[in-house]
Amino acid sequence: MGAYIRICEVEKYYGNGSNVTKAVDRISFEVEKGEFVGVMGPSGSGKTTLLNLLAAIDQATAGHIYYENTDITELSEDALSEFRKDNLGFVFQDYNLLDTLTMEENIVLALTLQKKSKKEILAACEQILTLLQIEDIRDQFPYQVSGGQKQRCACGRAMVNHPKLLLADEPTGALDSRSAQTLLETFTDLNQKMRATILMVTHDALSASYCGRILFLQDGKIFHELVRGGKSRKAFLQEILDVLSLTGGALSDGRT
Amino acid sequence: MVERKKYGKGDKRCHAEMGHKMNTKGRKGNGHRPEVTGSNSIYRKLSVRNMKRSVQDHLVYMFTMTLVTALMYAFNSLIFQNELERYFPVKLEGLMGMMVGLAAFFIMLIVAWLINYMVRFRLERRSAEFGIYLLLGMKKGTIARLYMWENILLGGIAFAIGTAAGILLQQVLMAVMFAMVRMEYRLRIRIDGGTFLMTVCCFGGCYLLALMCCRRKFKKMNIQTLMNAGRRNEEIKEKFERGKQMLLPISVVFILLFWKMFGRLSDNLQTALFIIGLVITIYLFYLGLSAWIICYVRKGGMAVYKGQNLFLLRQFASKMRTMQFTMGTLTALFTLALLGASFALMFSDYENTVLEGKIPFDVQIYSKEIGDAFVREKEVIEEEAVVSSYYRYHIYTDGGNAVNTWMLTHLQAWGAMYQNRDGTPDRAAIERMLQDEKGDGTYYTYDTYMGITDYNHLRKMLGYEKAELAAQAYLVQIKPRLEREVQKIGEDLVIGNAAGDGFLTCAGIRAEPFSQDGHNGADYVVVVPDEVLERMRPYYTELAAKLDGQAPFGLQHKLEQLLSEENPYAAGHAEAGLCRGSDTIISVAEPCMVRDNLMLELQYMLASIIIPLFYIGLVFVCVAVTVLSVQQVSDAAKYRYRYDVLWKLGLTRAATRCLILKQLAAYYLCPALLAVVISGRMILFASDRFIMMTGVSTPVGGFFGKSAALFLGIYLVYFVVTYVEFKRNVAFL
Repeated sequence: MGAYIRICEVEKYYGNGSNVTKAVDRISFEVEKGEFVGVMGPSGSGKTTLLNLLAAIDQATAGHIYYENTDITELSEDALSEFRKDNLGFVFQDYNLLDTLTMEENIVLALTLQKKSKKEILAACEQILTLLQIEDIRDQFPYQVSGGQKQRCACGRAMVNHPKLLLADEPTGALDSRSAQTLLETFTDLNQKMRATILMVTHDALSASYCGRILFLQDGKIFHELVRGGKSRKAFLQEILDVLSLTGGALSDGRT
Repeated sequence: MVERKKYGKGDKRCHAEMGHKMNTKGRKGNGHRPEVTGSNSIYRKLSVRNMKRSVQDHLVYMFTMTLVTALMYAFNSLIFQNELERYFPVKLEGLMGMMVGLAAFFIMLIVAWLINYMVRFRLERRSAEFGIYLLLGMKKGTIARLYMWENILLGGIAFAIGTAAGILLQQVLMAVMFAMVRMEYRLRIRIDGGTFLMTVCCFGGCYLLALMCCRRKFKKMNIQTLMNAGRRNEEIKEKFERGKQMLLPISVVFILLFWKMFGRLSDNLQTALFIIGLVITIYLFYLGLSAWIICYVRKGGMAVYKGQNLFLLRQFASKMRTMQFTMGTLTALFTLALLGASFALMFSDYENTVLEGKIPFDVQIYSKEIGDAFVREKEVIEEEAVVSSYYRYHIYTDGGNAVNTWMLTHLQAWGAMYQNRDGTPDRAAIERMLQDEKGDGTYYTYDTYMGITDYNHLRKMLGYEKAELAAQAYLVQIKPRLEREVQKIGEDLVIGNAAGDGFLTCAGIRAEPFSQDGHNGADYVVVVPDEVLERMRPYYTELAAKLDGQAPFGLQHKLEQLLSEENPYAAGHAEAGLCRGSDTIISVAEPCMVRDNLMLELQYMLASIIIPLFYIGLVFVCVAVTVLSVQQVSDAAKYRYRYDVLWKLGLTRAATRCLILKQLAAYYLCPALLAVVISGRMILFASDRFIMMTGVSTPVGGFFGKSAALFLGIYLVYFVVTYVEFKRNVAFL
């Protein structure tokens, strides 16, 4: 009962009768508070499905997902929305910033939905803009800034409410290597300075090397797990690449 | 929902596959750079498939085009198949056709604008798809042709269904028209060549015009602009917002000024300048509104930090900015529609409540000859109808104009036209007006009187109770609409008694319908004891007849012919010497009046005004709401991720639906409210004048309220459809 997030025997099936696809097949693992967990796997391995189940966007066919003492598989539709609002943050590959809002307003929006006071909203927004070093582009619209800046803004929006879990789906997928590196350093900062718990789905071994633990998925099951421990990032990257080479590179696009 | 999504994806994939197939063919065919030379059948398939998708995506537009075609066909039939016209004299021939033709002209302009707008809108929204076609090697001309065929197919479907519906609607319209003139109509469904041809020309003309414009647009396009067109739409330019926001208060001040000044504008130049100012204001209002919202959000106003307001305000400001010109045009359309419907309601109300009382006698004939015995007229009447009784009488005058002067200086209709600055009568102006024999026939030169015996005889013919009058008293018989205005006439009038040694006192005002558009006086007749008439002289002669049963068709026309033979120069009521009184908007001043005939003619004439006005109003509103609807539904499909993001941020489905509802309501209400504010002033002013001039009893705000309710009803239907479509496009809802 002590773990921060517990995933117990979770299954997700699509289709019916003889035509059933097991996207997630009896997966169980735990995430401790302040952990930075990566999920790797080839296309169709169930990474995004798992992320969606954790994000309460999709409903599990069987099993339980506990956030501390709350089992989200038992919650109603409206309660799930409330849960998402209070406990989760999202970062997507294509940023998903609202194009009619400025960078600052995109972050403010997440706070206004929490029904916080203007003073609280402005203070929280200021803090996250400074932390992510995007104060100088706060009044720009998404189309006026780079992909990396957009993704940092998306991180800001996800983190500004201090969620229990930050879920990132291929966050570096649309970024150049420099922007990707900056973003991953931002994740590390958020994880270390704000004690943010992060679960990141990625194809990229380099991105995964920033995590504290990696879960390797194949055919809807966890087939391997790597823990960084006290190792350097470089050594951890080598370990990840070793695992990938064992699977013939099927888990990754091989980018390093 | 899922099937639709799959279809959309499959469709795009199919386009790409077709492109590849065509490339391969090109390569095989000539061995050079891939050139699309796909067979016509592939293009046809592609056109049909795209057309199907367009029908699904733009149901509201298709519905409106079908409705407009049906209305066009039905109303055009009034030009070519007007079965009612044969019941009326030659002078009314083509009246309805002319009015409907005029309305059709304006409607064509608006429909052409709608089609052009939609063709361009769809072109912009699908620019990336056309870019892919170009990328695959299709020629611009081929794509333009493909798009044109697609549009022709869309138009063809709307036209076919619309025409079929129009044939039925035409029968409904004829039934309504016959009901308006209180005649029975028997259904007779047939297709008229002229009507069909005119509808084809109107509809086809609008389409071809739009497609030609579109073809030019295609010629200027290249792959880069096409592929980036979608992104360009999303770029929000915010410059000089503080300056622009001033346009909002300026617009509001101008509208307030318009409210205050409208109706007081004294000359055409002032009016023209005001109208130009109003049109500019309508367009600048939206620029100012969006800038004001942007500044408010930037400033961090309190409302910004509550719930989903930030999203709503930004969405609204962004939409107003990109659509400011369209919103201005829609406001203008709503304003015109409300004006049209209100005027139609005014005339309709007049027809239903006042017209009947305008011609109370079965037959009434005026003659300025004192000795006219109406012999020939009686012969004509007796040839055509069975007469129950005649009554020939005189209207008298004392040679003075005290009553006329009182009317000219006290009735609202004349305002201060015949008053000096101190409020006293402007004798010179009154004299000029009354003595002007070539004038427009408003008031008789001298006051008009009637004896109590004649008066009571006529009252009996009309079924009214007998009036009692003492020897030293007089009555004022007035048009019903003027009753309230002449309550104090008795305090001012000085009428001598029979002996000439004293004065009569006013015994009251009577205001039953009494044929006072020139026959029994113009606006009024003073009823005096018969003895008093001995001091007066006969002014003109009248004949009133009561018929057994209905007057036959054409009796009015025959009597008019007789009058014109007797007096060839008396073309109108004024030339014949008849004076209509203060009626200006609608007057029923005819030297001879056969109620059953004239009522039909007047009802038909009023229908010629009412029907085209409703036609214009209806089409304008439908066109305007279609543009609003198509914009929103299309945005929902394009920007569905916005709602998905909000949902992921924790907004419940119910809250998201509520957000969409608010967003649509603000977007729909904005142009409608501005139109209501602008047209409201005009309609209230016009209603006030109309009520004053015609005597209809509807309250001043009644016409405006009814027309606003009517259009808000149509608005609501489109709003609900848009909301449902919007939700459908934001798939997860």
